[in-house]
Amino acid sequence: MMLCDFHIHTNFSDGSLEMRDTIDLFGQAGFDVIAVTDHVVSGDNSIGKFARQFNLSVRGDNFDEYFNAIKEEAKRAWEKYEMLVIPGVEISKNYLSKNKSAHILLLDIKEFIPACMDYEEIFLEAKNQNALTVACHPHHTPDIVNKDTLFLWNNRDKYAKYIDAWEIANRDDVFNVISLKKYPYIANSDFHQARHLYSWKTLLNCEKDVDSVKQCIRHNKGVAITLFRN
Amino acid sequence: MTLFGICAAISIVGTVLYLFQAGAVWSLITKKLEPVDLIPARRPALPAVSILKPLRGLDDNLFDNLASFCTQNYPEYEILFSLQDHNDPAYKVAKKVQDKFPDKNITIIVERCNAGLNPKVNNLIPAYRKAAHPLVLISDSNVMVDENYLTEITRHTNDPEVGLVSNVISGVGGRSLGAVLENLHLNSFILGSVSFLDRFLGMPCVIGKSMLLKKSDLEALGGLEAFKDILAEDFIIGREMQRAGKKVILSNYLISNVNEYWGIKRFLNRHTRWGKLRWKIGGAKYLSELLANPVFMATLPVLLKGPSRETLSFAAIIGVIKILGDSLLGKKIEASTARTYVHKQSPLIYFLVPVKDIIIGILWFVPLVSSTVGWRGNRYVIGQDSQLSPCTDTGVWSWGYRITDSIRARVA
Repeated sequence: MMLCDFHIHTNFSDGSLEMRDTIDLFGQAGFDVIAVTDHVVSGDNSIGKFARQFNLSVRGDNFDEYFNAIKEEAKRAWEKYEMLVIPGVEISKNYLSKNKSAHILLLDIKEFIPACMDYEEIFLEAKNQNALTVACHPHHTPDIVNKDTLFLWNNRDKYAKYIDAWEIANRDDVFNVISLKKYPYIANSDFHQARHLYSWKTLLNCEKDVDSVKQCIRHNKGVAITLFRN
Repeated sequence: MTLFGICAAISIVGTVLYLFQAGAVWSLITKKLEPVDLIPARRPALPAVSILKPLRGLDDNLFDNLASFCTQNYPEYEILFSLQDHNDPAYKVAKKVQDKFPDKNITIIVERCNAGLNPKVNNLIPAYRKAAHPLVLISDSNVMVDENYLTEITRHTNDPEVGLVSNVISGVGGRSLGAVLENLHLNSFILGSVSFLDRFLGMPCVIGKSMLLKKSDLEALGGLEAFKDILAEDFIIGREMQRAGKKVILSNYLISNVNEYWGIKRFLNRHTRWGKLRWKIGGAKYLSELLANPVFMATLPVLLKGPSRETLSFAAIIGVIKILGDSLLGKKIEASTARTYVHKQSPLIYFLVPVKDIIIGILWFVPLVSSTVGWRGNRYVIGQDSQLSPCTDTGVWSWGYRITDSIRARVA
């Protein structure tokens, strides 16, 4: 099975490593498929404005640079490690209330999607681009630093139809509610620092190309999760 | 004589010793050997080599480390990657390397072996049994070399008296604080000590990151099984080889030990463990290591007597000498390993040298009160010559056990 991680940040947002170093870290460790998913924060509130002010977000004006950097690294990663690198973003809608906040991974995105759009618009635009949508850390976590993002889970009856997969595990946390609801699942590291390499991961049994990976996750057959430890 | 006077005297002796160490490193890595003729028709027959690579877990830069052994400019060699189980994350990396170099003779051996307590020797035994050539190279997975490495080290094996060829190692990478400290220490104290012992005392100090030996010579010492319960199997093999009348050569080929993302804890653990090994093997000679740490000795009066103009000035002077010395050596080492691993270190890292030396000075005392080591997920009690025995007690009360054990071992 292929070892995969679909939730990785670089210093294009709040990750600590540069794009090239991040790709090398995963390539040197034998990964088969990864997705680079830097934050796109909404600029319609003070939290988002703060993040954009300190360049902790991919923005409309640097999206092409970000996208091209991923594409360039994807080529290098394939030639050197035979590792597939998928371009993505993490739409980050942060509010003071955890019940209003949500983070969504868009995998295999082609054009910029602003985070200030409403949820339905974001999902529809993602479908337009044939991107995969994943609800990140959708339930309560014991993390006292990062706030919970519960909006999608609280409104799952309305939004589940738009979501291709839910994170059943994120770094060290496991969300058993995803299992109870029998939602399609994947597990990711939410990688920000080198030590986050050792965390929950997804194993996929499919061909190593973007379409097969997306199809495998959508159908959620041949998907397993593993706690990657050294 | 005052405390300051004693510490200052020791520190000055230590600084002189350090300068000798630095000189030994400098002369070793700048030594020009007759170039090996790389044109096949003209060079002497190069012996076939079996490279044994024990793998366990993910080392930094693992893929490139392993791949660097697949691009050797050398006529005949095989690579044996050896693991204890398929679930080891290194298995996937080894498989990828094997797939990337289909024209190379690479075998992945997955076999559980519980012959002894040293996990590295356990990992090596199945590969050693399957090695096809009489000349074996034991090489750790955290090292990277250039394409001339095999040619450079096998040149020494033309002499039938040579029993073992080891190498000097340098730390490269350093993208986190722990890794920077590790590399500073490898490139200063460890490299300096190994070079000094070889150059001035003719004493082999074999580091297991690269050991080239003949199977027949190792068999004469009892084979790998004879070292299965010894933690410092590399040093002891070198020592026994010399006692058996064979030459132990320190090649001047500088191997890159890639340390990129170490945490501080890992740095502390490794040097506490290595300190314990040296204490158990060297005994009283271990005391001389304080001499080799002039920064710590110069800082002691500041810590014990409080800061004064006299103590602070002296500590600062010694610190500056050490920073300058280590940065000069570091630049030379960086230039020597540039063909293998490219990562330019900021010169500012050398300001961490005094901090690192003080940490190492404090760690120096740990082996005096503790004989237990944690390595690769196992806990052991180490005895004379780093002989291992299992340590089952790891709770809070284990301190009593460790102290008792330490006293018992010292008395013995």
